[in-house]
Amino acid sequence: MQISTKNENGKLTIFVSGRMDTVSAPELEQAIKSNIDDAQELVLDLSEMSYTSSAGLRVLLVAHKLMSKKGGMTVTGVNESVMEVLEITGFSDILDIK
Amino acid sequence: MKMFKQLRKNLAFNVIGAIVIMLIIFSVIVSTIGYLSFTNAFKKEYDETTYHMTNTATASVDPTRIDYYLKTNGQSSDFKRTQRYLDSYCLKMNVSLVYVIKVDTSDYGRFTSVFNSVGADTPYKPWKIGHQQDTTNDEYARIYKDMYENGLTRGTVYRFTDLKGAPPHITSLVPIKAHDKVTAIMCIQRPMKEIREVRYKFLAEIITAAVIMAVFVSFLASDFIRKQLINPIRCLASETTRFANENKRGDLPDQFAKVGEISDLAKSVYKMETDILHYINDITEIEAEKQRIGTELSVASTIQENSIPNIFPAFPDRTEFDIFASMTPAKEVGGDFYNYLLVDDDHLAFIIGDASGKGIPAALFMMVTNIIVSNGAQAGDTPAQVLTEANNHICEHNKADMFVTLWLGILEISTGKVTFANAGHDDVAVYRKNGRYEYFKTKHGLVVGAMQGIKYKDFEIQLEKGDKLFLYTDGVTEATNADNEMFTLDRTLRELNSMKDASPQGVIEGISKSVNAFVGGAPQFDDLTMLCLEYNGADSSKTLKVDATEENMGAVNDFLGEFLEEHNCPMKTQMQIELAIEEAYINVAKYAYGDGAGEAEVTVSFENNELTIVLKDSGTPYNPLEKEDPDITLSAEERPIGGLGVFLVKKVMDGVAYTYENGQNILTMKKVIE
Repeated sequence: MQISTKNENGKLTIFVSGRMDTVSAPELEQAIKSNIDDAQELVLDLSEMSYTSSAGLRVLLVAHKLMSKKGGMTVTGVNESVMEVLEITGFSDILDIK
Repeated sequence: MKMFKQLRKNLAFNVIGAIVIMLIIFSVIVSTIGYLSFTNAFKKEYDETTYHMTNTATASVDPTRIDYYLKTNGQSSDFKRTQRYLDSYCLKMNVSLVYVIKVDTSDYGRFTSVFNSVGADTPYKPWKIGHQQDTTNDEYARIYKDMYENGLTRGTVYRFTDLKGAPPHITSLVPIKAHDKVTAIMCIQRPMKEIREVRYKFLAEIITAAVIMAVFVSFLASDFIRKQLINPIRCLASETTRFANENKRGDLPDQFAKVGEISDLAKSVYKMETDILHYINDITEIEAEKQRIGTELSVASTIQENSIPNIFPAFPDRTEFDIFASMTPAKEVGGDFYNYLLVDDDHLAFIIGDASGKGIPAALFMMVTNIIVSNGAQAGDTPAQVLTEANNHICEHNKADMFVTLWLGILEISTGKVTFANAGHDDVAVYRKNGRYEYFKTKHGLVVGAMQGIKYKDFEIQLEKGDKLFLYTDGVTEATNADNEMFTLDRTLRELNSMKDASPQGVIEGISKSVNAFVGGAPQFDDLTMLCLEYNGADSSKTLKVDATEENMGAVNDFLGEFLEEHNCPMKTQMQIELAIEEAYINVAKYAYGDGAGEAEVTVSFENNELTIVLKDSGTPYNPLEKEDPDITLSAEERPIGGLGVFLVKKVMDGVAYTYENGQNILTMKKVIE
């Protein structure tokens, strides 16, 4: 998994590519937590993320909860198989997916 | 009565009894003959004497004066003189009657008395001259006639019984002739009192003598027989009885019997005793030897049984095939054999063979052949190469000119291809799934051991899942019943086809049962050996064993990814499967062994479009499926962090099951791959 971050006037965009599994998910969690202080808004661009497990979902939920106190979190570019996982777990109803 | 019956069986009683009876018969015959000849001689002598008396008396009668005497009624002085003479003659000779008669020659029925003198102590009264009397009977009449007409010079009449008051007597008649003409007949009647007395006396004496003789001879004979025959025979009888009971050499006196035959018999009995003791000794030794051989044979039998694999299931962890075999020797050991062995992970060699002959030679030959062929197969050569080599090797050392038929096959487990070579063995029967058993006929090579330098040829059979091979020896096809009928190849095929669905073990037990039922009470003539192999298809499963750590997740993923790629799994499905295995594996890695370490085993297999993943660990027993599903309708704020893994597994897979077996948590996940 590769992560890149971009902060534009408090709008933090995190670009995730590859697989988000048990091993890699903590990296994303770390990246979010370390960049979130300067951000009002979080955009997770998952267009290059091919896979997520429950560990990834956990990170999404943690981030969602953190951002709900600020300007919220948006998830973009969700591919079909990741979307299925989000739907199965009811995350598609919680998250702001564009 | 019972005692008499016992006596009848007694030798002495029989022999002596027979002698006594024979002597009695002999005495009776001798007495009778003696009595008869004595009577005859005496009678003849009596007759002769009486005749002479009569003849003498005739001289005193003047034959020419008879008619005159009658005419003068005996008044003449010469008549009276003659009468007186005859009277005194009668008394002197001690006869009953002396009389002269003139017979009426017209019919000889009457006569006229001339002289008549009556003896003392007789019941008669003298006739007066001229007294007329009827002829006493025809016998007298015939004699009278013969004398008057035919010149008969003497006649005799016997009276043995009392007649009309007359005691038994003899009457002698002599004609009185004048100038060759019979003028009267002189008769003298003499009593037979003497003859009777003498005869009875003689009879008494001869009987007495015979009885004394009989008794004496009986004693003598019985004594001799007892001493020379019966006692020795009794002695021999008791000796043989003793020998029969004790089986020990006995002792009899040297001069045992004077009779040659008995003495020979005694010698024979002794020789027989000695021989029997020898034989008993020999038989005892033979019996001991037999027992020793029997023990050795039973050990040999165990060795042979254990020289071939006989524990089933033969390869419990190989699911690709099932093999079963049995060998039943006709004797303690046999020349048939089978064998099977894994050459490597992908090759199973299996052999069936039948060494010529039976019993120990065949068994030894079979053991050697089995080792050579098994070693050859183990080396990885093709069946034809193995048989060619084995043949050359065996021929070099085959002094006994034995041979063996062999069928060697090597199954490539991953493909089901069987390569085989046949050295004079019966064709294998092949079962095609949903079809039937057929013999797979190929050209047979020469039997192994017959000729050096033979080249065998490889043949191939492609087995598909569910196909079976049945190998057998001629002990099956040539099993013979009491009517001398054979089981035959046809019947074998029929029986096989009547149990098409049977497992290899079922097939062999079924054929065994059929053969036994067919043979019935007839003794098993040949070794009975069978081998059956069922091919279950290549094993598509793959297994990965790793230390159950989160770091090994990547390895598990790679392993699975490779397998799924091989089976052309669509991307989306692959993602779902990866998700499921990750969730399941991470659970094991995190919780199964607590703070300790342990292994996790992932097995994937693919069959009928269905992927099966089995995850095993030896950690704390835990059934993840028991955990309640999370409430996915809760808002983000209400949601707990985590707890979604197992739920995801259930959702993305088509089936999930958990068992705990042999100390292992076993989670089985299934997914249909389109």
